[in-house]
Amino acid sequence: MDSNKKYWKGLEELQQTPAFVKQSKGEFAEPVPVEDVLNEAGLSTKTPRRDFLKALGFGLGAVTLAACNRTPVHKAVPYLIKPEEVTPGIPNFYASSFKGQSVLVRTREGRPILLEANPSAVGLNCGTDASTQAAVLDLYDMSKLKGPKFNGADISWDELDTHVVTALNAAAAAGKQIRIVSSTINSPSAIAAIARFTEKYPTARLVEVDAVSYSGIIKANQNSFGKAVVPHYRFDNADVIVSVAADFLGTWLDGEEHTQQYISNRDYKSLKNGKMSRHIQFEGGMSLTGTNADVRVAIKPSEEGPLLIALYNAITGSSLSGALSTNQKAQTALKLVAQELQQARGRAVVVAGSNDTAIQTLTNAINVALQSYGSTIDLDNPSYRYKGNDEAFAAFLAEANRGDVDVVFFLDSNPLYDYPDAGAVKEALGKIKFKLSFADREDETASELDAIAPNHNFLESWGDANPRGGYYTIVQPTINPVFNTRQAEHSLLLWAGEKTDYYTFVKQNWEQHILAGSSKTWKDVLQTGFEYKGDQPASAYSFDFGTLEAVAGAIAAGSKTLAKDVEVQLYQSVALKDGKQGNNAYLHELPDPVSKVTWDNYAALNPKFAESLGLGENSLVEVEAENGYKITLPVLMQPGQAMGTVSIAVGYGRTKVGKAGNNVGQNAYPLAKLVNGTLQFNTTAKLTKASGRYELAQTQTHHTIEGRNVIRETTFAKYKENPGHNAGRWTDKHKTYDLWNKYEQPGHKWVMAIDLNACTGCGSCIVACNIENNIPVVGRDEVRRRREMHWLRIDRYYAIEQGGASYTKEDDIAKLEDFENVSVVHQPMTCQHCEHAPCETVCPVLATVHSSEGLNHMAYNRCFGTRYCANNCPYKVRRFNWFNYWNDSRFDNYLNNEFTQLVLNPDVVSRSRGVMEKCTMCIQRIQAGKLKAKMEKRPLKDGDIKLACSSACSANAIIFGDANDPNSEVSKALKNERVYYVLEEINVQPGIGYMTKVRNTYEA
Amino acid sequence: MRNISLVFGRIAKPISVALVLLFVASSLQAQDAKEGESIFRSNCSSCHRVFGKFLGPELAGINERREEAWLLKWIHNAPAMIAAGDPIAKELDAQYPNATMSAFPQLSEDQIKSVLAYIKSEEEKSAAGAADGGTGADGGAGGASGDASSFMIVGLIAVIALALVVILVLNKVIRTLERVITNNKDLIPEPVLDQTPGKDYAAKFRKLAKNKKLVFFAVLMLVVFLASAGWKTLWNVGVHEGYQPVQPIKFSHQLHAGVNQIDCQYCHGGAYKSKNASIPSANVCMNCHKAVTGSDKYDGQLSPEIAKIYRALDYNPETMEYGTNQRPIEWVRIHNLPDFAYFNHSQHVAVAGVECQTCHGPIETMEEVYQYSPLTMKWCVDCHQETEVNHKGNAYYDELIAAHEKLKKGEKITAAMLGGLECGKCHY
Repeated sequence: MDSNKKYWKGLEELQQTPAFVKQSKGEFAEPVPVEDVLNEAGLSTKTPRRDFLKALGFGLGAVTLAACNRTPVHKAVPYLIKPEEVTPGIPNFYASSFKGQSVLVRTREGRPILLEANPSAVGLNCGTDASTQAAVLDLYDMSKLKGPKFNGADISWDELDTHVVTALNAAAAAGKQIRIVSSTINSPSAIAAIARFTEKYPTARLVEVDAVSYSGIIKANQNSFGKAVVPHYRFDNADVIVSVAADFLGTWLDGEEHTQQYISNRDYKSLKNGKMSRHIQFEGGMSLTGTNADVRVAIKPSEEGPLLIALYNAITGSSLSGALSTNQKAQTALKLVAQELQQARGRAVVVAGSNDTAIQTLTNAINVALQSYGSTIDLDNPSYRYKGNDEAFAAFLAEANRGDVDVVFFLDSNPLYDYPDAGAVKEALGKIKFKLSFADREDETASELDAIAPNHNFLESWGDANPRGGYYTIVQPTINPVFNTRQAEHSLLLWAGEKTDYYTFVKQNWEQHILAGSSKTWKDVLQTGFEYKGDQPASAYSFDFGTLEAVAGAIAAGSKTLAKDVEVQLYQSVALKDGKQGNNAYLHELPDPVSKVTWDNYAALNPKFAESLGLGENSLVEVEAENGYKITLPVLMQPGQAMGTVSIAVGYGRTKVGKAGNNVGQNAYPLAKLVNGTLQFNTTAKLTKASGRYELAQTQTHHTIEGRNVIRETTFAKYKENPGHNAGRWTDKHKTYDLWNKYEQPGHKWVMAIDLNACTGCGSCIVACNIENNIPVVGRDEVRRRREMHWLRIDRYYAIEQGGASYTKEDDIAKLEDFENVSVVHQPMTCQHCEHAPCETVCPVLATVHSSEGLNHMAYNRCFGTRYCANNCPYKVRRFNWFNYWNDSRFDNYLNNEFTQLVLNPDVVSRSRGVMEKCTMCIQRIQAGKLKAKMEKRPLKDGDIKLACSSACSANAIIFGDANDPNSEVSKALKNERVYYVLEEINVQPGIGYMTKVRNTYEA
Repeated sequence: MRNISLVFGRIAKPISVALVLLFVASSLQAQDAKEGESIFRSNCSSCHRVFGKFLGPELAGINERREEAWLLKWIHNAPAMIAAGDPIAKELDAQYPNATMSAFPQLSEDQIKSVLAYIKSEEEKSAAGAADGGTGADGGAGGASGDASSFMIVGLIAVIALALVVILVLNKVIRTLERVITNNKDLIPEPVLDQTPGKDYAAKFRKLAKNKKLVFFAVLMLVVFLASAGWKTLWNVGVHEGYQPVQPIKFSHQLHAGVNQIDCQYCHGGAYKSKNASIPSANVCMNCHKAVTGSDKYDGQLSPEIAKIYRALDYNPETMEYGTNQRPIEWVRIHNLPDFAYFNHSQHVAVAGVECQTCHGPIETMEEVYQYSPLTMKWCVDCHQETEVNHKGNAYYDELIAAHEKLKKGEKITAAMLGGLECGKCHY
């Protein structure tokens, strides 16, 4: 039953560094200096009687004076004219969408407080990732502009309109070009509005460019099939998935949708049917997707192309030149992978993360050879999420430099921050007469322009999106515009002389085009939030294999330029992605799923490689790009990172985004380069050790489990022999004893089941929990002191597997040449609501007690902060409020103003300094669900109550419900053979069951 | 004391009813007017007023302006008359294009006549001046429901006066006795010690002070007294039972909920579906107060309190239009539950069927609202321990109760048994 595999959270734990050992002994980082007080001048000194009396008198007087204020008079101000749909105290839900993800917006008394995935849009690009969950905070951002600006001064909209129209007319009269530079616009109405604008000003053109570009894929598909689109991937149809540096579960295209598809072949339901897909990942840096792979092989960015050539050769039996000749491990794996793929023809997919046209063309060839088109890859219903064209933007810069462009508008675009060659952009902008940004704040680009016409937040806007073929979502406002802003599309229509407001425009556009011929009306769409027209049938595509020799040549050449001493792989972090939400404190504090670093980007290096460079933990390293751009970054020792590579996240280092996000990390965009007209995130750099030390705010070992056996893992082959393999219920072999009377739970018994095979570790549950439960952000310094407040954390455990053997002893591990072969397990960890809760027995004031529904209650107003409970909790899930984070100028990240406090959930109290808190299993939702059933005089149904974490989880890894209801999903899930309980052997009888991690490995 | 006033009120009610009946029987004319008033209130007042133009024309002088036969026909079915082309009817219709007179086929001829009689009586009242306006019946009812505090104050004054008289009389008796003693000194045997009475007391006191048991007992009593007083005071810190702040509008629950019998739900609809009972928005007030201006009590003028609603909404009663300069009404919150305590009205009102009065007291008698209950946790817990769960006919409880009945056979199921005392039910 006991696995002898060794799991560890970080290198410090693996190596048992003195600092780690010391810190692991205490629940809190800095113990209260009780002994110092006692030993030194504390109790041993004599206090003279008169001093004592003086102090007593003063104290009593001061306290009396302080208490002598009148009871405050509270005002109750009702609506003058109450909107019919609002009942104070009852939330309203509106269907809307964020970046094409259909969501429900929960509003209370007219203010949006939470986004949830639209349950009726399951399977349709649904699901909310961390950035979607956190997006509601962006509405309440104090750094946003309060009104339009012209030359740095406030101006009225009328005056701004006059300036803009004058400039537009002048440009039109002179026959000069007008450009709208934007990130991808997939909103049909916005495109129609821009078309209307172009009608009025015929020289106007839309230039779409994305900070993170997929134009290599678009170009490759244009070359291969004559369709310039990003295809829609169907991982749910794939039995074998091979990814070459594509983080498809995280940041590559539609991570959430891919997660749902991917998990549908790997979760407990699929395993019950004896089915599990196989996933092989080749990559340099450790990505979220890499941590979930069955087999992960570390390769350098320069090996990506040659590896695909070798794969193509192995599958088709052809012999393209330039195949992988280095990296023996990858070559061995490759042979097995090719066999697997061939066996799974038609049910396999190969994806590559590179933005290189040649590499993507070769990937297309492999997929054609595997008959993936029509089954795992859908070209007929393509994704429109990223349509940016790097060449179009380069052409725009050239035009501007020639002096052909007179007017430019930037919509949701910030090239002075995220374009690799910001200098070129600045130079080009200097030659344009009138420059305007629709940014909602004075960001890096907007602050350099003539005018800013601040756009609404999406929660204040009307709009729509067409994220993929046949699928349309709407955006509807849930709050009146807070500041004096105006929707960009509305501005464009106004400047084009259009009188209709944008709402009418969107409505007409839907009625005339999208809803034409359907029985649905505009009102129906406002209710459902989306319109799905069904998939187009797959058509046949031919591929010209003859061109591949040239493609292989281009790949080999590209690979050669990358094959330097240090190869750089730029990537998007799961939380901040491209950095557009750079002022979002929730996202900054969300630990990276792999490194568990908060509030910074860093240079991720393989520990052995770092050693060879003379770098260690907390070192600083200077990264110098080919173009001479230099940044100094802290070093992160990343197990699994390929030797000779460094991974750096883009999206950090913003300078003009707002209070929370300014100067967090370093901007890595300038390290990227344009090759053959596409933006490349794989590049090279020089690394030199920089002086100084820098401690990253890393949570990985904060709540250590001290080497106890908390992870249970098995392989698919062993699972098929015995589904309960390695699960090991303690109670199967041991008798349990109760010191206390058994709690009767005759009504409900709330429990959770967590499927370790479904959890990808993405962290959207953490952000959802933060928002639902008013959990404060504490900031970098406090995270360093191990004081993060997250009620739910995802523990990430590494294990080393090499040559088929698990390394279990420290001595063996020391002998490893590299840290490339590590496997990872993610384990969501939160209050286990133990039946025999150790925290309850040690509380001197009974502030934490058990309920008849199986919950471990926490009464904040009763707690007086002894912190005994946290010390006694074996799962380390209790959090102590060291400060009033929401009302303390030292923690002025986001919440210390009345405006941002509107994001707080009014059903959950914001805790005061000095009290303990922890997961309540969203008791406010449980109570609300029960009340709704009581009011409707019906029994509570399974699924009536959803927790914030479980509803945020696209993978359905967290299942919540009533264990006393034998038909509930959770009851059924907990009967699964894979279920085990963490630390069951200490007889705390936890309420959360985990299901073993199953890996579909080669040894099978 | 409140009980006494309630008892008094209960006795007073039948008496006042009897008075009213007596009065009513004595005046048949008034009977007509009385019936007419109620018909007028329920049918006509939404569009008409006796004095002043409203949605429809002013009604004062209607008996003189029009013939009775025409009026009967008109009120019975006005639209038909307009359609038939009656000249007066057509003229009226043209004058009030937005408000066509409704048909009242349900009203009998006598009923319509009594409405007309009511209008006439109102005219007479107005002519006679406001002084004689109040009828005996009104006065009787008002006096009978006399409020508790004035009765108590009168009672207290009487008691104090009585006590003063007693003290004075006793003093007189003492002085008389003293005089008797001084006059007959020889009759009294000499005291044993030749000390003055004052010195005598001091000595006695010194003697008592030496009695350790007595001193101990006295100090103990003092400590017990102070401690209990302190304990009581401290328990009441933050308890605002009886808190009765001055509100921006002198809204009377006694008038609205008591006399007019308006259901609580009409204004506080939230109590049945939400955690907040919700203070009604001003547009709810306007449902009635667009028509009800209280002018009958203010010499035909708008009531100053209702005027405050109009001011908040920037409503002009003449043009009946709403302006833009609207200012919300800032009520003073009476029931202040701390943030860490979650309370949901709908759970108690809609699910448990608790009467509003259980917590809010005799709200229908309150001229100004005060906090009736202490809102302490003990108060909550006491109720949860005793109150039986209202599970009949609620399918949600079927499984829960069945499970509990297995545990506690034959006992009643209280809120506490279903977890109503657990911390997390209110604190999260």
